[in-house]
Amino acid sequence: MIESLLTQGVAALKLLGLNYAFVLNLSERTAFVRGLGVTLQLCLLTIPFSLAAGVAIAAALTSGRTWLVPPVRAFVEVTRNTPTLVQLYCAFLVLNMIISQQLQSHGGNPMTPFVWVVIVVSLHKGVFHAEALRAGIEAVPRVTLEAARSLGFSRRQLLWRVELPLALRFALPSLVNNLVDLVKMTAVASAIAVGEVTYESIMIWTQRDNVLELLLLILLYFGLLTWLVSLAGHLLEQRLRMPGYGQ
Amino acid sequence: MVSELTLAPPAPTWKLAGSAASAWRKPWFLAASAVLAVLLYWMLTNSTPAVLVYLWTWSPALLRGLSANIGISILTMALGTAAGLLVGALSFSPLRLLRVATRCYVQVFRNAPVLVLIYFTTYLFPFEVRLLSWTVPFPDWIKVVLGLALPASANVAEIFRGAIQSIPSAQWEAAHSLAFRRSEIFLLIVLPQCVRRMLPPWMNLYAGITMSTALASLVGVHDLVDAAQIASNTVARTDFTILVYFTLLGLFFAYCYPIACATRALERHHDRH
Repeated sequence: MIESLLTQGVAALKLLGLNYAFVLNLSERTAFVRGLGVTLQLCLLTIPFSLAAGVAIAAALTSGRTWLVPPVRAFVEVTRNTPTLVQLYCAFLVLNMIISQQLQSHGGNPMTPFVWVVIVVSLHKGVFHAEALRAGIEAVPRVTLEAARSLGFSRRQLLWRVELPLALRFALPSLVNNLVDLVKMTAVASAIAVGEVTYESIMIWTQRDNVLELLLLILLYFGLLTWLVSLAGHLLEQRLRMPGYGQ
Repeated sequence: MVSELTLAPPAPTWKLAGSAASAWRKPWFLAASAVLAVLLYWMLTNSTPAVLVYLWTWSPALLRGLSANIGISILTMALGTAAGLLVGALSFSPLRLLRVATRCYVQVFRNAPVLVLIYFTTYLFPFEVRLLSWTVPFPDWIKVVLGLALPASANVAEIFRGAIQSIPSAQWEAAHSLAFRRSEIFLLIVLPQCVRRMLPPWMNLYAGITMSTALASLVGVHDLVDAAQIASNTVARTDFTILVYFTLLGLFFAYCYPIACATRALERHHDRH
């Protein structure tokens, strides 16, 4: 049933000059679908981790502790001003190598390329989330905080009931922007042979000469993922909307 | 207010004297002299660590790689800016079809992963072009420039559109009432203000594009990342691998961080005026 539908689809696209014959080959089809799945896994894992990293970095930067702020600040600047690919190499080729050498006698290295991509992309985007959250916290009007204090809110209540809810709403548009960037960034994982959609496609197009067809599929897939992320962000913005704050 | 004014004058002199005295205690100055002293000691006693000797012998290759990255980024930005301004101007066209087309262009190329676009141009364009009777080679690095220029132009178009729209429409109306022509309003009134507003995001974009040039190594262009990989594989020593990859990070940082600082300074300057 599915097989015949695919055959018809491939034949129809052939008329347009697009050669999608690879979907009729079972092993290539499963490889491609596995690639789609791995990209989705990468996104679903890095989105929560990057948000957690962002909150942690923003908290560290605003903590005012002299032993904590300068190192975190340096980390933020280095992360913002160096390519993700180079960070990935520094993590995977250097740190991973050191860990492997240290753990040689203890049964080998448990870190896989996939884990490294999750760590590096999460930390990279976490830095940008932290910047958005900091801007959101600064955008909370002083008057609102003073009003809450005069109503007898404690420091903790002020933070959790007034400051953070408002800051989150102010930061939400840039957070969603960062998450769209994050989805696009997962394509870099192909550089260290993580079998995500770009990597599996390269494997397929080196066998067959169908680069254009596969690139169109990849672009469509990333377009779908980024559209879903911005749609989710938009719905969340509408759900959290408070009268009097923002449009 | 009054007390501030009376207290203000002595402050600069105190600050000057302080800075002159503490010039020797500046952290940068101290770090630089410490590094120089260590280098001098190594040179005199002939005991420089082998890793650093390797790094020194490989440094010309690394710097050549960096110059390839910088060249690609500058060409990309020139091409992307020209195309982006054109697309941005077309997005204000009275023709609905043109507006929709530019909207699609901007959406597609801003939402596509840069790496995928680089693969796109690298594998789809031929490796040589036939012009009449000559065959002109079409090297990979030019294809990378084209691949990076696509998202760059989409971003420039968006920056341009945002800048034009940020100029209050009252200025157009006021200039109209002063009998300026449409082209004059644009060239003499709107554009000069736009350039100021576009500069910080444009510089941000340039830093971003420079960082994206690292992806060129994945399609076989001999850039800085490629040079570092070759060096690390040739020397094949653990300590050198660590050093060369962190040098890579440091070189990109040294190029992009000043741009980021300048952008921030410009933004602060604009906020104040």
